[in-house]
Amino acid sequence: MSTEVKNAVVIGAGPAGLTAAYELAKNGIRSTILEADQLVGGISRTVNYKGYRFDIGGHRFFSKVPLINEVWDDIIDEDMLLRPRLSRILYRNHFFDYPLQAKNALTGLGLFEACMIGLSFARTKVFPSRQERNFEEWVSNRFGYRLYNIFFKTYTEKVWGIPCTEISADWAAQRIKNLSLVEAVRNALLGGGGKTKDGKIITTLIDEFKYPRLGPGMMWECCQSNLESQGNHTKMGRRVERIRHSHGKVECVYARDENGELEEFSGDQFFSTMPLRELVNMMDPAPPDEVIKAANSLAYRDYLTVVLMIKRAEIFPDNWIYIHSPEVKMGRIQNYKNWSPEMVPDYSRTSLGLEYFLWDVDDEWTWSDDRLIDLGLKETVTLKLIEENEVEDGTVVRMKKAYPIYDQHYQSHLDVIRRYLDTIPNLQTIGRNGQHRYNNQDHSMLTGIYAARNVMGAKYNIWAVNVEKEYHEETVSDEKATGDRMIPRRLVPDDDAESVASDAVIRAAFAKLDPFALGSAMGLVFAISLFLATTALILKGGEVVGPHLSLLGHYLIGYKVSWSGAFLGLIEAGIGGFLLGYVGAGLRNWTMSSYTNLLKRRADLDESKDLLDKV
Amino acid sequence: MSARSADQEVSHAIARMKAGILAFIFAMLGGGGLFVMTAWLLIKGGPQVGKTLNLLGHFFIGYSVSWPGAFVGLLYGAVTGAIIGWCIGIVYNRIVGVPSAS
Ligand SMILES: Cc1cc2nc3c(=O)[nH]c(=O)nc-3n(C[C@H](O)[C@H](O)[C@H](O)COP(=O)(O)OP(=O)(O)OC[C@H]3O[C@@H](n4cnc5c(N)ncnc54)[C@H](O)[C@@H]3O)c2cc1C
Repeated sequence: MSTEVKNAVVIGAGPAGLTAAYELAKNGIRSTILEADQLVGGISRTVNYKGYRFDIGGHRFFSKVPLINEVWDDIIDEDMLLRPRLSRILYRNHFFDYPLQAKNALTGLGLFEACMIGLSFARTKVFPSRQERNFEEWVSNRFGYRLYNIFFKTYTEKVWGIPCTEISADWAAQRIKNLSLVEAVRNALLGGGGKTKDGKIITTLIDEFKYPRLGPGMMWECCQSNLESQGNHTKMGRRVERIRHSHGKVECVYARDENGELEEFSGDQFFSTMPLRELVNMMDPAPPDEVIKAANSLAYRDYLTVVLMIKRAEIFPDNWIYIHSPEVKMGRIQNYKNWSPEMVPDYSRTSLGLEYFLWDVDDEWTWSDDRLIDLGLKETVTLKLIEENEVEDGTVVRMKKAYPIYDQHYQSHLDVIRRYLDTIPNLQTIGRNGQHRYNNQDHSMLTGIYAARNVMGAKYNIWAVNVEKEYHEETVSDEKATGDRMIPRRLVPDDDAESVASDAVIRAAFAKLDPFALGSAMGLVFAISLFLATTALILKGGEVVGPHLSLLGHYLIGYKVSWSGAFLGLIEAGIGGFLLGYVGAGLRNWTMSSYTNLLKRRADLDESKDLLDKV
Repeated sequence: MSARSADQEVSHAIARMKAGILAFIFAMLGGGGLFVMTAWLLIKGGPQVGKTLNLLGHFFIGYSVSWPGAFVGLLYGAVTGAIIGWCIGIVYNRIVGVPSAS
C-alpha cells in the first residue's frame, strides 16, 4: 500500500475505529471518523443516565499485548483503576464461588447432590462420550453431566439462544487455551503455570482487571478528544449508507446525518468497523450475488440491558453475578458501583444492570422500556436480591449485533467475503463485527493498529489477530514490507528464549525410543559380546573349558563353551537382547506418554475453570 | 506452532541417542559396578574371597579379587561398558536413521 496517504476515512467510533485513527494520527495521517450514534465507544461505550453510568455488560480491560496496554496508558494513565474481581454464580438462591470451589459447592448443593455430581464425574471418566460433537458432550466429558447441567447448560443457552447440543464442540475448544504436551510438561516441571520465577502467583483476568474510573466509555471519549485536538474530527450521527468504488478502489462513502441529509466523504484509505453483513450490502456497485448471499447469511445475537436504580448502598459485593436459575430470563447482573465507585452519583444508591441476550425477532426485543423494566424488577425480586419498593428508577439500552454468531457455515461465508474484499485494497475491515469475530477490545484495537500500519507500508495480516492465542508475535506476514519504513522486528524476550530452550530439552527427553532399534542394538551387542567371551575361553583352552560361562546354558538352551555353543549363544543372546531392548523401550515410552497425558489432562482442566467467562 | 502439531511432534518424535553419553553412562556403571563388587567381597572377607568373581581374570588380564585388582577392574569395567554403550548408541542411531552425535 502507498505511503503517501493524505486522508483516511474511518467508519465507526468504537475501539477499533478510534484506535486506527489514533495510530494514523501518531504517524501524521489525518482521518475523519464517521459514527452513526451520538456516543463514541461502540459496544464499549458508557451510557450516562441521570448521573448513573453503565456499560453494555461490563468491560474489563485486560490484554496480553504490551502494545495495547501502552495505548491504554497513553490515553488515560491516571484514570485507570485496578479492580479486584468477584463474580459468583447464583443458583437456587445460593451464591457459588467462581471458579467453582469444592467446599463452597458442597455447602450450596447439599451432600446428596454433591455425591451425585461426584458419581456423574466418575462415570464420565470411565465412560466418556466417544465423540465430542457438541458443547454438551465437550463440557460433560470434562466435568461430568450433572455439573454441566447445573453450572454450564442454562447460562450458555441463555447467552446463545440455542440448545447446547446444537453448539459445536469446536467453539468450546477454541475458548480454552489448548496447551500442548510440551507446555503442560513445562508448566508442571518448571512451574510456568501461573507463577513468576520467584514463585509469586501471577494474577490473571480471574483475579483483577483494569477499569477506567468513569467506565470504558471514558477511554474512548478521551481518545476522541485527543484525536480532535490534532484535527481528526469525529462526525457523530453519520450513518454510512453507501460505499462507492471503482477499479478496485473505494472512492468515497456516503453518510446520512440525523436530518436525513446525505454527505459524501472521500479519502485515500478506508477503514470499516461496521458489521460485515451491512458493509457488503452497501457496496456500490454491488458485489457478485454469492458475496451478498454469504454476507446475508452471517448471523448476530442481540443484547439489551435493563438498569435499575435502587435505594440501597449494598446489595452484593460482586462485580457481576451469573444467573443460572432457569426460572428467570436474565443471564447476568452487573453491579456497576463495584466496577468503579464513580459509576453512581450517590454512594447510598446502587445501579444493577440486568442482561438479556436476545434475537431481534424475539418478542422481548420489541417490548416497551417500561415493560422490560417491569420484567427486570420482577425477576430480581424472584431472585431475592431486592424488594420491589426499593427500585427508584430504571432505563433500557439495546445493542443490536452484540455477538457475531459462529454457526456451522460462518467460516465459509467469511472466506467468500474476504476474497471479495481482497480485491479492494484501500478498504480494510477491522474490529469485532468488522471481522465477524468474537473479539474483545484489545483484539479489536490491535486490528485497528495493524490496519493503520498497513497503509504505511507494513504487511500485517489483520485476520490473524485472535486466531491463535499468541497473536501478538505472529501476525506479520512472511512478505517483506515494501514501503519506505522498515518494520522493527521484536527481539525475542529472554523469558521466551528460556522457554524455547527448555522446550527443546523437554522434547528431547520425552521423545520416544524406537523399540525395534533399541532391541536390535542390544541384541547385536549382547550376541557379539557372548560370542567373543566364548571364543576367548575356547582359544585359551585348559582342562575344563569355561565351566562357569557354560552355566548360561540354564537360560540359553543348548549353550556351552564350545564352537557350536558360541554360534548358538550368538543367536540366543541376540534374541534375548532384542527382547530386552524392545520391551524396555516400550515400557519407557508407555510410562513417559502416560505421564505427559496426565499432566496435559490436569492442565486442560485447569484451563477450563474459567470457561463461563468465555461463554 | 499450534498445540496439536506440538503434541504430534512430541508423540511422533523418535529419540536420538548420544552415543558418547551412553558410553559414559555404561562406563560408569561397568567400572563402578565391578569396583564396588570387588571391594564388597574384600571387606566381607572369608576363607576363599571372591572365588567366582576371580574368573573374570580370564577376560580381564591382571584382574583379581584384591585391592589392586579392584582398580584394574574399574578400568576394564569402564572400558568394556563404554564400548558396549557406544555400540548400542551407534547401532540404535543407524537403525533410526540419524547420524550419531558423540
Ligand atoms: C456484553 C459484552 C461484554 C463485553 N465485555 C468485554 C470485556 O469485558 N472486555 C473487553 O475487552 N471487551 C468486551 N466486549 C467486547 C467489546 O465490546 C468489543 O470488542 C469492542 O467494542 C469492539 O470494538 P469495535 O470498534 O470493533 O466495534 P463496536 O464497539 O461495535 O463499534 C463499532 C462502531 O461503529 C458504529 N457503526 C456501525 N455501523 C455504522 C455505520 N453504518 N456508519 C457509521 N457508524 C457505524 C457503531 O455505532 C459503533 O459505534 C464485550 C462485548 C459485549 C457484547
